[in-house]
Amino acid sequence: MLELYRWEPNMFSLKPLVVLHEKGLAFEDRYVDFLSLAHFDLAVAGALEVKYNPESDGPVLVDRGTAMTESFFISLYLDEAYPETPLRPKDAHGRWRILMWARFVNEVMAPAVSTLGAHKYLVPALKDRRETIEKKLARLPTQEARDGWRTALDDTYSQDLLADSRRKLGLAVNKVEETFAGSDWLAGDAFSLADIDAFSMLRPVPYLAADLLAGAPRTTAWLARMEARPSIKTALGSSRTGKPHEAFTPGPEHSRWG
Amino acid sequence: MLTLYHWEPNANSGKPMLALKEKGVAFSSHYLDLLNFDQHSPEYLKINPNGTIPALVHDDLVLTESTAIMEYVDEAFPGPRLMPEDPIERWRVRWWMRFFDQYFAPSLSMIGWSVFVGPSVRSRDPEELKKAIDRIPLKERRIAWSKAIYNTFSSEELEESRRRVAIGIDCLEEALSQRRWIGGESYSLGDINGFNLGYALPLAQPQLCNDQRTPHIMRWLRAIYARPAAKATWAMGRTQMAERIKFLEG
Repeated sequence: MLELYRWEPNMFSLKPLVVLHEKGLAFEDRYVDFLSLAHFDLAVAGALEVKYNPESDGPVLVDRGTAMTESFFISLYLDEAYPETPLRPKDAHGRWRILMWARFVNEVMAPAVSTLGAHKYLVPALKDRRETIEKKLARLPTQEARDGWRTALDDTYSQDLLADSRRKLGLAVNKVEETFAGSDWLAGDAFSLADIDAFSMLRPVPYLAADLLAGAPRTTAWLARMEARPSIKTALGSSRTGKPHEAFTPGPEHSRWG
Repeated sequence: MLTLYHWEPNANSGKPMLALKEKGVAFSSHYLDLLNFDQHSPEYLKINPNGTIPALVHDDLVLTESTAIMEYVDEAFPGPRLMPEDPIERWRVRWWMRFFDQYFAPSLSMIGWSVFVGPSVRSRDPEELKKAIDRIPLKERRIAWSKAIYNTFSSEELEESRRRVAIGIDCLEEALSQRRWIGGESYSLGDINGFNLGYALPLAQPQLCNDQRTPHIMRWLRAIYARPAAKATWAMGRTQMAERIKFLEG
């Protein structure tokens, strides 16, 4: 039986949920409160690929005894291991385009939206949890995870980082909007993993930087089209807070090369 | 028609070179001298407007990003499969390629740019160098080149890169102590990726990567270099850089 450890249906946790529902796969749904850092205490947290999870706070899928991290690669795994209702084109070029989107989502969208979201929602959410988080912080497995949560706890996001995050998000919205000039979906003629991947990151943008969407009518229409899909409605319906768009973790690092 | 635009068999350029050789796919090679800024020339920018190497031109398609190019090559051409059959091993290969591309390689290359790329070009005419930097399309690459040329990497960021390289080496050693290849039982794109990143680690980081401390990495590097495709790929090198690999012989 597939098992998914995840938090609120937003960002990284949303992605594999949508894939599972698109494919109609049964799974054990293990809701974990990331806000209390409970995901670092899971029994599956010992594996090297979980400890060095590049998302730091992402979902973990367990199948055939292996704990897998990285929300896009989990999604790709599901599409390869459970090929009914395929979510990728069959041709090599179409698949290359999906990988190119994944790289862009990873490097540009994910850190930008995470930083803006954590600054707006995670910082205040941690205010009355300070003691618990402080206690756990030193035991987090990597320096990157400790630094990420420390920044949110102390609210030391620099103006430069916030401005750079907005710049990156602006680039991302432009790129998506341009793509929709020639097609209804991100990676060709059909709905695919690329749409799920990017939607998971862009869904909270209206709450974080609505102005960036003002000049992007095609992106706005796509967000609405995605939101109406039964798989996404089901995934969002599994929220326990009723406000999945406020569920942020520090997220992955921004590129150290600038 | 299949043309690969590449530099030395090293890092990103070497990934599709070795993948193509492993598949036995014939291609025409278009060498670009990274240290002469060939990748920012108007001719090349017509092919890849981002000015990054490598790029693969397959008939009317232009493919960029070395790891994604490798997956394309594996799917588009006949020859031995370079991704495992088992979907879990495929997931693991991709996880490691991301670890290499986004964690390990940027730190290793920051050190490489500060000790090799910068000093290799710094002595040229300052005006010429300034123009060369201005022609670079991507902001991130512009920053990298100007830091290398003007030697402005901070000691903190170099120290942080060294810390990450040490972690990367330890993670790789741990993984290879559990499995023969990075994904599991079969040689794959993950090994090709990791080899291009790490073949010179025993030379560049001799205290951290050697037969005593990291026997599994050493075993793995030698096993990959023993493959005819690796020999053929490194024979395409034109500089001393490619010569370094010979320490893995015997």
